[in-house]
Amino acid sequence: MELLKLEHLTKQYSQNELSVTALNDINLSVKDGEFLSIMGTSGSGKSTMLNILGCLDSPTSGSYYLDGEDVAKFKDEKLAEIRNKKIGFVFQSFNLLPKLSSLENVELPMVYANVPKKLRQQKAIAALEKVGLGKRVKHKPNELSGGQRQRVAIARALVNEPAILFADEPTGNLDSRSTIEIMEIFQGLNDDGTTIVMVTHEPDVAQYTKRIALFKDGYIIKDELVKNRILAGGGIS
Amino acid sequence: MNLGECTKSAFRNVFSNKMRTLLTMLGIIIGISSVIAIVSIGNGSQAAIEEEFESFGTGSLTISLSGSNDIETRDLLTMDDYDMLKEVEGVSYVNTTYSGRNTYIKLLDPQETKSASVSGVTADAQYIDNPTMIYGRYISQNDVDMRTNATVINDTTALKVFGYCDENVIGEKIKLKTWKGTEKYTVIGIMENTNASTETAYSDEFPETVILPISTAMRLYNNKNLNGFSVLIEDLNQTEMMKQRIIMALEEFHNNEDKYYIQDSSEMVDSINSILSYVTLFISFVAGISLLVGGIGVMNIMMVTVTERTREIGIRKSIGAKNKDIKIQFLTEAVILTGMGGIAGLVLGVAFAVIIGHFAGITPVLSVSAVALAVGISMGIGILFGVAPANKAAKLDPIEALRFE
Repeated sequence: MELLKLEHLTKQYSQNELSVTALNDINLSVKDGEFLSIMGTSGSGKSTMLNILGCLDSPTSGSYYLDGEDVAKFKDEKLAEIRNKKIGFVFQSFNLLPKLSSLENVELPMVYANVPKKLRQQKAIAALEKVGLGKRVKHKPNELSGGQRQRVAIARALVNEPAILFADEPTGNLDSRSTIEIMEIFQGLNDDGTTIVMVTHEPDVAQYTKRIALFKDGYIIKDELVKNRILAGGGIS
Repeated sequence: MNLGECTKSAFRNVFSNKMRTLLTMLGIIIGISSVIAIVSIGNGSQAAIEEEFESFGTGSLTISLSGSNDIETRDLLTMDDYDMLKEVEGVSYVNTTYSGRNTYIKLLDPQETKSASVSGVTADAQYIDNPTMIYGRYISQNDVDMRTNATVINDTTALKVFGYCDENVIGEKIKLKTWKGTEKYTVIGIMENTNASTETAYSDEFPETVILPISTAMRLYNNKNLNGFSVLIEDLNQTEMMKQRIIMALEEFHNNEDKYYIQDSSEMVDSINSILSYVTLFISFVAGISLLVGGIGVMNIMMVTVTERTREIGIRKSIGAKNKDIKIQFLTEAVILTGMGGIAGLVLGVAFAVIIGHFAGITPVLSVSAVALAVGISMGIGILFGVAPANKAAKLDPIEALRFE
């Protein structure tokens, strides 16, 4: 089943009568259970792509079907709801709220979904346990290592049981050991059925995924399955 | 996001920067505390004035000779007028206004004397002036008819003359000294000093109050002419009609015109109250400007806060916060900021009022409406000046906001 489908998607930025095309006639589909990495150099359009996929931005033209709905035409309020219910987002710089504990950070998406407090706490603790942080619920982000922060962010992204997880350079700020840890979590989630789309510029990291789409100057120039996929738990498939 | 979560999160943010919060609230605190202090003192003085007049008798009419016209002997008011007024239809009680001059009362130390304000009254006075008797009784009709040497004094006078004030004072004698010599009067009653609320009541310049039966007072001063009367009418709604009826009766009785003047106490209370409320209004207006400045301060800080927390706003939006959620969040913070300022101002204002009242001899009166208004206005300011920053926050582009360092 196609979870995500882009048809003739174009994004143009205009500034002072100067128009820049960031994405040009993109056609892409992601099936349920896939683990796709979007690669490309800076300026290739990969970040714009992820912003549109993550419903933070709208395309200039074309369609974007997410879980069967054409979200390209949705307005602010509806997009916020999609971000809340269908999408999980993991960022390079973690983007946790510094004043809140791990637990409270993970609870936040459920606060906006009006989940009752008790259920919210139960689910948040379960999500933190899933990423191996069951003993760090009261810690604030500045009391955690980079890898741990990113795991809190993953727990937050997963807690509303989204249809798809988007990750923007999730290992960009991490050392190699934490990178492997995060990739292990991603692969585990993917094995359990979570669809993941990850933007990265590191070929090594892309090797952990199942499929790579290569962007250049707003076009997809290559879209192929990963051969010799690295398994974070050890070994190559 | 429900309001409970929103409030909790707002309190957390407001308290995370205590110094800034305090400084921001200062404008609101100053504004609200001055309004509360001024309004309570204003209400307090209003109540004090009303009480003062009530002790003269509410709704009583004061009859006096017009000062401006030439007064002839036949125009003067005497006890004959008293008898006549008692018969006027609609008149319940009549008291005489009569005060003696150059009278001194002997104090505890026989060498010491003090000036006394002597009033001659009828038995009706107790219904018009409403004295509160502590011991003994008031002047009776019998005292007036028999011209007894009975006198009523107040508690402060009793203390000064006898050194104590209890039931044993009843039956004791006071000595009044006039140009004629010294005469003794038997204390039959002690009443509460109605001026006790004002500081001047205790100062030495304030003469001691001595009340005598009108007939006794006339004998003491050898003067049968009255200053006037105070009259209590049956129906207070008929005040205007009764004024005319009394004037007509007096003019007929004396066969003259435009010699008498009647004032009702509610008129005096009204005019003093209206002056007081203008003063209160004016000072409140000045305090209102302080609130406006405070509100602008809140808006300014909220603008800064929104900019500082741009990234947080981006994060919240990326995980599903709607524009409305962000708007309510910042609006709640602004309202909490001003609301707390309002409550702090309220407490401070009451404290100011009590302190000022202590030195000015006024008991401040804090009305529920003033409290509600203070808290309401401060929160209203929060909404009014919080809307612009909250809208700014709500309209931030999530991508731009996430990029913000």
